[in-house]
Amino acid sequence: MTARGRYITPLAWQAATILALIALWQWAALTYPAVYLPPIERIAQGYFQIWHGDLLHSALLPSLRRLGAGFAIAILVGCVMGVVLGSLRSLDPWVRPTIEYLRYIPAVAILPASLIVFGATDQMRIFVIAFGSVFPVLIAATDGARRVDPILLDVARAVGLSTAERLVRVVLPASLPSIFSGMRVALSIALVMMVISELIAADDGLGFYILRNQRLFQTANVYAGVLTIGTVGLGLTLALLAVEKRVLSWHRGWRGLTETGRG
Amino acid sequence: MIASWEAVRALGFVDRRDLPSAASIVETAAVDLWSGGLAHAVLATIGSWAPGLAVAAVAGAGAGIALALLPRLEIATRPLLEFVRPIPSVALIPVALLVLGVGLQMQLFMIAFASIWPILFSTKAGVEDVDPRFVETGRVLHVGRAARIFRIVLPAMLPSFATGLRTASAIALVVAITVEMLTGQPGIGSYIENVRLSGLVTGMWASIFVTGVLGYLVNALFVTVERATMPWSTENRDR
Amino acid sequence: MDKSAAMNEPILAVDNLTKAFPAGATPILNGLTFRQEPGQFVAVVGPSGCGKTTLLRCIASLMQPDTGSVLHRGRHFDNPPPWLSVVFQDYNRSLFPWLSVRRNVAFGLRGSGANDKRVDEALRAVNLEHAADLYPWQVSGGMQQRCALARSIVVSPNLLLLDEPFASVDAQTRIDLQDMVMEICQTMSLSALLVTHDIDEAVFMADKVVVLSTRPARVVEEIAIDLPRPRDQLATKETPEFLQLRHRVYTLVRKQAQKLSR
Repeated sequence: MTARGRYITPLAWQAATILALIALWQWAALTYPAVYLPPIERIAQGYFQIWHGDLLHSALLPSLRRLGAGFAIAILVGCVMGVVLGSLRSLDPWVRPTIEYLRYIPAVAILPASLIVFGATDQMRIFVIAFGSVFPVLIAATDGARRVDPILLDVARAVGLSTAERLVRVVLPASLPSIFSGMRVALSIALVMMVISELIAADDGLGFYILRNQRLFQTANVYAGVLTIGTVGLGLTLALLAVEKRVLSWHRGWRGLTETGRG
Repeated sequence: MIASWEAVRALGFVDRRDLPSAASIVETAAVDLWSGGLAHAVLATIGSWAPGLAVAAVAGAGAGIALALLPRLEIATRPLLEFVRPIPSVALIPVALLVLGVGLQMQLFMIAFASIWPILFSTKAGVEDVDPRFVETGRVLHVGRAARIFRIVLPAMLPSFATGLRTASAIALVVAITVEMLTGQPGIGSYIENVRLSGLVTGMWASIFVTGVLGYLVNALFVTVERATMPWSTENRDR
Repeated sequence: MDKSAAMNEPILAVDNLTKAFPAGATPILNGLTFRQEPGQFVAVVGPSGCGKTTLLRCIASLMQPDTGSVLHRGRHFDNPPPWLSVVFQDYNRSLFPWLSVRRNVAFGLRGSGANDKRVDEALRAVNLEHAADLYPWQVSGGMQQRCALARSIVVSPNLLLLDEPFASVDAQTRIDLQDMVMEICQTMSLSALLVTHDIDEAVFMADKVVVLSTRPARVVEEIAIDLPRPRDQLATKETPEFLQLRHRVYTLVRKQAQKLSR
């Protein structure tokens, strides 16, 4: 088989699967009309409506704003706390039990409490998103900071960097590979918490849009909303990977070197 | 932890009435567990969480192994999997409500659906990452193809399956509680909502505290079982 | 084929073996030919990266040659023949981490019961009885390699393939393992094929050394090693015959390596 043949055949298979599924759905929708089986064109229509016009401002953008704010807080808090906790071992016995307990609270359970404290506000939703997604970043940053090669720290000390400088200029960059993998996990959790907070307590956003259309039996719009959330998730994941690739370009080369050195 | 809780209370960013003292939370938790509906709620949540997760474990492991061993199947279904993966399962709760209505069936379906993905993907990765040298060793020792799958591939991928299952167990708990909050299905989620709506602030914090303990115990259970049954897994060797 | 004819066949006959890997790339092995008689200890040496491991995989029937043939007692095999056993170089990748040392050794045995005795014997042969119930990753590298060795001999093979088996252990362990392998081959009257880059080791252990060229590898020369057995790490290595043979093999390999660096 030629190289080209090997490459094209899977693509053909994949295209065929997608087309077959779409065709099957459409056929079923037309043959057995049911509330939960709207035809494809209605879903597509709903999908495109979300991306411009009024819906953009009442559904997509509010969701993105909350997601962005919550995720940013999670990264900031997670990185700062993680790097500090990972470098200052003496804090460990004090803080670790708390974190170990908090990280295993199913984050939804926090939602009613933050409803009481913040009311049904954006602050409350941002808090829930940040609470849910901070732990993967925090744990990854702590781990990364703990595994920094002590030689690097000795070098930093020898050059005369202060403790704060060492944290920012040595520990943080060295923990970045670990932090990024934590961020990928955190992103998917942030997305889940965004949806949940909007399902349970909101009057705009994608989650609210989905739930309202479900109550109105506008099924095509429900599917369109789900697809939009999927698109957002995919887009943000790809963006995160792109940033990671740029920021961590040194890491791959370095790891490749040390690994061949070992083998 | 208690100290920082009391510190937040003392600093007064938040209305005191919304943040009861740690001691009263623990006390209420004990009382509600003993005499109130909290224990029932916890049991109800576990009662839907466990079977949902079990179904996901079997289906996810089966699908993951099949996808790893049958490259054609993997290629054909890849677009579908990549399509489903970024969609947060909770976004499908309204869809499940449409199709299945309110009830235990819908809750079980959502739990199983949400927890199948981490299990599937980590099982698949586990099978794919089995060192080819293991399989070769099996060939040299004249172990047949089917026996190689059972005696080499399955044990070699068990640690990654277990990791996937542990991730899924946490997701399943979140989904179970979310569904309970949204639909009033009996369990922790609806319990917390009811307590909140009745204005029992301390009771609400107490039930959140208990939920956290449950989440912690679930994780601890999985970690303990993994360590006891898979001492060879690289994660467990240092301990 | 009757039994006596089978006994007269060479245990291994490699004839004009050519192999490209991956398929379509420049060949790694190019027309290799050599034979191994029953009971013989053959060592294959060559400059590093010359394709020794690919050769071993072809001989083990883990890979099929592109052209030419690998015959075990005159027959072709699609899978490793039942009387053949392999000890791989990277023991930490070939021992199953979820099985104890004892169960790793027993892995290739069918059924149970009478096997316990055979496993015990194999463990005794490699001095591992005391570690039988530990996991392989709990014991030292040398012990892991002894475990892999026990697993290979427990199935009572006739031909033992050794792929750089002593490459990743320290010098003293290496010497102990060499003596142990030679003793086992002697007492079990095993044929053994050792792939190595260590010329001392090849000359010290083998009855015949096959020198390979650089990639694509072919046989440069076969050198008979007629040093008396049993061989001793000190006495044998100090004899003029040993030094002479070592010099000859070394010169051949170095000539090949120089070709590579040019």
